[in-house]
Amino acid sequence: MTAATDDAAGTGLSTPRHSAADARSDSAAFAEEFRRAHRRGLRRAAWLRALLNVTGILLFLAVWEAVPRLGTWVNPVLLPPPSVVFDTFVPMLLSGEIPANILASLRRAALGFGIATATGVTAGLLTARIGLLHHVSEPILHGFRSVPSIALVPLSVLWFGIGEGSKVALVAWGSFFPIWITTFIGVRDVPAAYLRSAACLGAGRLATLLLVVLPAALPMILAGLRQGIAVSLILLVAAELSGAREGVAYMMSTGHQMFRVDIMLIGLVLLGTFGFIADRLFVALIRRLFPWYTTAS
Amino acid sequence: MSGPLIDFDRVSQIYAARDGSPVWALSDVSLRVEAGEFVCLIGPSGCGKSTLIHLLAGFLKPTSGAVRFRGRPLDGPGPDRGVVFQEYALFAWMTARQNVEFGLRMQRVSAPVRRRRALEALDRVGLRHAADRYPHELSGGMRQRVAVARALVVEPEVVLMDEPFAAVDAMTRTTLQEDLLRLWRETGVSVLFVTHNIDEAVFLAQRVVVMGAGPGVIREDLTVDLPYPRDRGSAEFGREYARIAAALARGSRGADQSDGERRAA
Repeated sequence: MTAATDDAAGTGLSTPRHSAADARSDSAAFAEEFRRAHRRGLRRAAWLRALLNVTGILLFLAVWEAVPRLGTWVNPVLLPPPSVVFDTFVPMLLSGEIPANILASLRRAALGFGIATATGVTAGLLTARIGLLHHVSEPILHGFRSVPSIALVPLSVLWFGIGEGSKVALVAWGSFFPIWITTFIGVRDVPAAYLRSAACLGAGRLATLLLVVLPAALPMILAGLRQGIAVSLILLVAAELSGAREGVAYMMSTGHQMFRVDIMLIGLVLLGTFGFIADRLFVALIRRLFPWYTTAS
Repeated sequence: MSGPLIDFDRVSQIYAARDGSPVWALSDVSLRVEAGEFVCLIGPSGCGKSTLIHLLAGFLKPTSGAVRFRGRPLDGPGPDRGVVFQEYALFAWMTARQNVEFGLRMQRVSAPVRRRRALEALDRVGLRHAADRYPHELSGGMRQRVAVARALVVEPEVVLMDEPFAAVDAMTRTTLQEDLLRLWRETGVSVLFVTHNIDEAVFLAQRVVVMGAGPGVIREDLTVDLPYPRDRGSAEFGREYARIAAALARGSRGADQSDGERRAA
């Protein structure tokens, strides 16, 4: 009896309070469930995208495999199917021939690109900040910029020989220009409000340059560097094709001389992979280093 | 200190229009502001109110006349005159705290002291919790609070504000105005505040300087003699509002007339 009345009184009294608390915990539970479902949905979409990407690659390989095998109109010597290319690739990889060539190419590209970054950013900063320097250097820099870099390959070989010097110089020369021009534009167009804020807060020339101008111009500089990466790959190939003793493009040109299309195709895939990975690494690095950049504008 | 804090002495400012003809941004303007005063500059666009701010900040040199600060002619921008811009002036690559610390960093204040003072300054504008956020993670109103904290943390003698609240919504603007008045009273800093909003001028200023355009001149210098905090709904507030609106209307009518005369001639 007592228990029953207690119970009845209890439920009668606590029902409103209880249901309010329930609603609160319900809504918390609902929010948690909603969040989980949302995350599940995002994950599923990401998986699906990856799956479709892989499917695309597999489809491409399947068509490539099928065409030289089935078609009588394609000479399999001129277009070997991927299985043949792969059979060539594995021993070349294990023998260390391919890694050595990759290393040689990467070293040249990195060195040339590094030189171009240092000189290009410096030149861009100086020409944008010092009016006199800008007007003096303008015709020369723009004149040289208009010459397609590849036209300098023979001259570079004459000047620097067929050793490492000519390759590095070509890569540096070619990627210098996009880096210089974008740095110049980025620095020239730093919003006046930034410069004025810095001046009002007592910043001197050097502090303004390092703490305000450079970071404000960074998005443009990074765009130039990204373009520089692409250009340096082009010039790397041009330089190696014009005469080298190692390197991925050199490997391709020996493949050409020996009429080994499979080796040439290996070179192409490697170069494509370089470009792709370099670009992705660059973007990932920017996201890590400059959290304000990707979402700022 | 003897003499006014700020002294515009018969200042004219001329710049070249696109076709090379001279434009009088300011014509023979004289204005004095005492230490601790809150002065609003109000007027139509092209009346040179922003030019006055830029002259005092040290971004411009007057074509003729003199701008004196504490009795001395100005030589470029400096931390004794803080500036709050309309928008987009916070460094996007620095967090709120780093933005506020910037001026202290330039004074070579040690890192721990800098940090403490920046956090205090952010606290005064109610944004201590947002110290580690980047400007793009803040709302427009929050950004302007950080900008005010950044300008005040170096303890300038005057803060120049060029339509600082023009880009935020009306409700946020009211709060920002109240916060600014509180900071003004707490710090005793002088404020020179450009606006095109009569309500804002009456709510904030001890003096409202009404300017006119083409060429930029000061038409009237009105004292708003109401106690703080001011009540927007009160009759006195309405009267002051009407007085400034009338002064502005007189000014623009005058300009229209002279425009008409010029056309007729």
